[in-house]
Amino acid sequence: MITESVWGPVQREMADVLATYPDDVPAVVDQLTKLQDVLDRVPPLLGSNPVADFNKQYLTITTCVLERLYAGSFADPAFLARLDVEFAARYFDALRQWSDMSSGCPKAWTVLFHRIPCPDARPLPSAAAGLNAHISYDLPFALVTTFDHQGCDPVDDSDQHHDYLHLNDIFAAQIPGLRRGYLERWQLLVDMMNGDLDDWWQGGVVEYTRNVAWRNAQRLWTVRHDLQALGRERGRLDHTAEAVGKLLLSPMGAILQ
Amino acid sequence: MASQGDDAPLVGRSDILPSIQADLFAAGPGGTSAVFVTGESGVGKSRLLRETAEAMRAAGAAVLFGACLDIGDASPLHPVLQALRQAGAHAAAGEAPDGAGALLERVSQELRTLARGRRLLLVLDDLQWADRSTRQLLLYLLAGLGELNLSVLAAVRSESLHGSHPLRRVLAELRRLRSVHVLDLAPLDQDATAELVTAIAGKDVAPEDADRVYKRSGGNPFVAEELARDLRDGRVELSDTLREIFLSRVDELPPHAHDVVHAVAAGVEPVEHELLARVLPLPENELIEAVRDAVAHRFVTSAADGYRLRHQVVAEVLAHEVLPAEHTARHRRYAEALEAFAGEPDHARLAHHWQQAGEPARALPSVVAAARAAERLYGFAEAYRHWALALELTPDADPGRTDLLAHAAESAHRCGEHQRALSTLEELARRDDAPGVCALHLRRARYLAAAGRAATAEIEYERALAASACTPSEKASAAAHLAELLVHLGRYADAGVRARDALDLADRADGSTADLVRASAALGFSLAFREDPDAGLAVIRQAVEIAERSGHPDDIGCAYLHLAELLTNPLNNIEEGVLVARRGAEKLAAIGQGRTYQTRLLAIAANGLFRVGQWAEAEQVLAAAMRHRPSGADAVEILLARCRLWVGFGDIAAADRDLDAVATILAGGGARHVMPMLTLRAGLAMWQGRHAEARSAVQRGLTETRSDDLVLLGVLAWHGLRAEAEAQVGGTVPVDAGAVRRLQVVVDRVARNAGSAPAPVRAVVDGYLDLCAAELSRIEERNDPELWAKAAAAWDRRHQPYPAAYSRLRQAEASFARRTRRAAATTAIREAYATAQAMGAKPFAAEITQVAGRARVALTGDEEIVTAVPARPGDELSMLTDREREVLAAVAEGLTNREIGQKLFISERTVGVHIGHIFDKLQVRTRVQASRVYLRAA
Repeated sequence: MITESVWGPVQREMADVLATYPDDVPAVVDQLTKLQDVLDRVPPLLGSNPVADFNKQYLTITTCVLERLYAGSFADPAFLARLDVEFAARYFDALRQWSDMSSGCPKAWTVLFHRIPCPDARPLPSAAAGLNAHISYDLPFALVTTFDHQGCDPVDDSDQHHDYLHLNDIFAAQIPGLRRGYLERWQLLVDMMNGDLDDWWQGGVVEYTRNVAWRNAQRLWTVRHDLQALGRERGRLDHTAEAVGKLLLSPMGAILQ
Repeated sequence: MASQGDDAPLVGRSDILPSIQADLFAAGPGGTSAVFVTGESGVGKSRLLRETAEAMRAAGAAVLFGACLDIGDASPLHPVLQALRQAGAHAAAGEAPDGAGALLERVSQELRTLARGRRLLLVLDDLQWADRSTRQLLLYLLAGLGELNLSVLAAVRSESLHGSHPLRRVLAELRRLRSVHVLDLAPLDQDATAELVTAIAGKDVAPEDADRVYKRSGGNPFVAEELARDLRDGRVELSDTLREIFLSRVDELPPHAHDVVHAVAAGVEPVEHELLARVLPLPENELIEAVRDAVAHRFVTSAADGYRLRHQVVAEVLAHEVLPAEHTARHRRYAEALEAFAGEPDHARLAHHWQQAGEPARALPSVVAAARAAERLYGFAEAYRHWALALELTPDADPGRTDLLAHAAESAHRCGEHQRALSTLEELARRDDAPGVCALHLRRARYLAAAGRAATAEIEYERALAASACTPSEKASAAAHLAELLVHLGRYADAGVRARDALDLADRADGSTADLVRASAALGFSLAFREDPDAGLAVIRQAVEIAERSGHPDDIGCAYLHLAELLTNPLNNIEEGVLVARRGAEKLAAIGQGRTYQTRLLAIAANGLFRVGQWAEAEQVLAAAMRHRPSGADAVEILLARCRLWVGFGDIAAADRDLDAVATILAGGGARHVMPMLTLRAGLAMWQGRHAEARSAVQRGLTETRSDDLVLLGVLAWHGLRAEAEAQVGGTVPVDAGAVRRLQVVVDRVARNAGSAPAPVRAVVDGYLDLCAAELSRIEERNDPELWAKAAAAWDRRHQPYPAAYSRLRQAEASFARRTRRAAATTAIREAYATAQAMGAKPFAAEITQVAGRARVALTGDEEIVTAVPARPGDELSMLTDREREVLAAVAEGLTNREIGQKLFISERTVGVHIGHIFDKLQVRTRVQASRVYLRAA
């Protein structure tokens, strides 16, 4: 029987890299570095494909987070480090599910993964689409899990909230050529079209865009014991992130380049 | 979900079954093991659980089955207590007056009784629905704290793990342990599906039919099996979806059996026969006939404790087919039937049915009862959810709402839902019959402090102190709490002022002993940190007297705890602190209460004994503490202390066991203890020569430590530099220059900030900075005996023999290498050896012996030096053979082994052997050191 493989000649190496589960931020950086090496060898275009382009940006960002952790720049480094690990774990999970051709792979990610064999993908919109999936879909869940594990809850203006905003700034600063807030504003647009902006949003656009994942995490937090409600929220976030991702990867996304 | 009595064979899992069994029998060092099977619905998890349980039972294990419920708010520990009841044990469900730990111990006791010395296999299906208490019990047992040879086999739906389910994190942590396996059960492949199809539908199934089954089922065995039955029974049109498969089957059921299936689907499993008989009022023989049909049509399974659906998928399919009116009517019948039974109903279950029956008001009494029951079992998270539900069911105008709000806020606070606690409290404050202003300020402040919002909490306490409505005794309480908060924030001067206020107020108003003790402790710490330790001690000693007069175990425990902590930590009067801690524990033991305080006091005593080098004594104290059966954070504290001891003794197996146990408990959450665990891991790895592991533990620690925690940063930096220094000396692992650079940055930062730290903190930090400076000299190959001597003196002043002796060993080693001050070095290494021997520090003593051997120094006895020191310079090379001299000359030229081999016409390996001999004879460990000796002699 012929087994299909989504990664072509590097299927085996991909599986090897994904067999480990990083436990701390240095290990996450290590894992992303190894992934970069494998992703750069995915045909047809060696050195560039949507996931490789995203991974490159994400590696830069996470390296920056690690440096700031070493520099003692965060108020609650135990929280932030755990968040970073949980956050990355969701990207690695998506890669694993894609490798296994599992139906559980989030749509937010599959829009990007499907484009791997397409030679017309441009690096910047691709990276932006990956970051969109990661921030809009993965980050709220990573926040909830981290808070649950640390035994605290998402309270505005707490140390953890400030650290979250700091992380958000690192992401925004590391996307060259992508105007600050661009991604979030698209998300805002899609949210509006879906009628998903409800009464918890009363501030201005700026407050919303910086806090989008935080607000979604707070919403998930309130229903986290209700598996059905949580499933519905997951579907909603996945759907929104998928729509933004499609937009970014469409010819419209080219304006970012 | 339970589906029993399958007649289809188990296909495609022939390798998995024996490997699960082997994993379950291969218990870790704590005597426990676990296998978590994850996979999509219908992939065969339950079947695998059942088959494994049968095999394990046959192999002599005791087996216990529990299933978690999807009713949202089951009662705490439900699956385990249910499993115990089913096995005929009763006592576990009652009240445990002495804390959550006592409850866990009682459950363990029941399990031990059932196991009768055999390995106990606890099988838990649908673990994704388990409540927080059950997860914590599992971790407690898997950590070995239940003293039970336990294997856990649990199934988890993989769909649940995708988002933010708490098990996701738990499994991620647990899978790092050798005794835990997470098995992702994949769908069947095409061949296995075909095998299953032929097993059911017969050999003459056309291959294209089998292929169609594979395509439509996606290899899901449950679906494939049903499709194969369709094939066998001649249903030509293969259904496309599960829904179609089941709906066509449901239509074929006789009417009464149809009712049975719907009734069981609406019930909370297992549905007892008597209950079903009340819900479906049929004549007995007709009911039995109907159940028989439902079983025969493979919808329902029957067991001694009641009926279950064959598969959860059936319930999900049926749910879409039921009219809302039917749904509510069924649940109403269930609720009424449950109420009609004599005795105490299962409140969580009753509340669920009234909710679903659309009569939430009737659910209220059960919801409140369920909340109280959960609180009795220390399940505050579950209790909070019941209180919150009760609030939803109670209109604003209802006078009972005030009481519910008070309960909801407090349980939210206790289970860490800080935001909810605060918002519920606000609603409470707005009510006409709200508690007094003062009580509200105090509660709000307490909740805010717990939420980490210290500044706002401080304002609330200030408000209470300023409010005219507050009585002096309430104000005393506010000031005492505020003083405690300020100590935690490190604002010792402010804390002192507030503590004095509190003591004055309490004096005038006859305040509570608890507030007196709290305020005295805060004042004591504030004085000690502001360099008036005697006054600080006097205040806390007085608090101890007051507490002893009150006789309340909590007051006594709290007062002794503060005194012992003050003595051992800021004051560094360890010996006395240990005495106080032990006396406090004895007092409480005599009263027979305050188990938690006893455990904590013994932990302080043991840690103190460790620091002063009385390790054997520390071991005894820890054994006594373990007999108190600690759980949660207390257990972690004791295990970490004991592990530190094992690392020192060099008992690697025991150290590994305790580290695994700590990691298991921490998988359930708890950030506070991760750092001590990482430093121990690094320390253990270093003795084992596993530098990479030590390095990564330190790196993780450095990235996760707050920048103001100077002591911890100092400890970590020292461990990190020591690991690099060992790498440098050992020569097999290269030094990580990046890591050294980062460590140096940390050391610089700590040194910069140490100046502004309070004196007691500075004293400890300076000790670690001395060690760091000395290790750095070792890394830079200028190993400086003076730096080590300085570190030894610093730790002597702190009365901590272990780091002092370590510094002496390195001092001696450095001196021997430099061939300077040999007499002083000999004294130092002998002192270090004597300390190591007295403590029982085996790996440390072994290293001392090694260094002494290389330097030809006798560690005991009167003779100064065993072999004569080379008298004249130049003689240093006299013990080398001619060939070795040639090799050494080449080394000093900076040639590599390969280059030397080419030059001398010998193999690279032989060069290595020669260099090994040279190093031994010259007592050096690096090429640079060897070159130095050669150049000096030449």
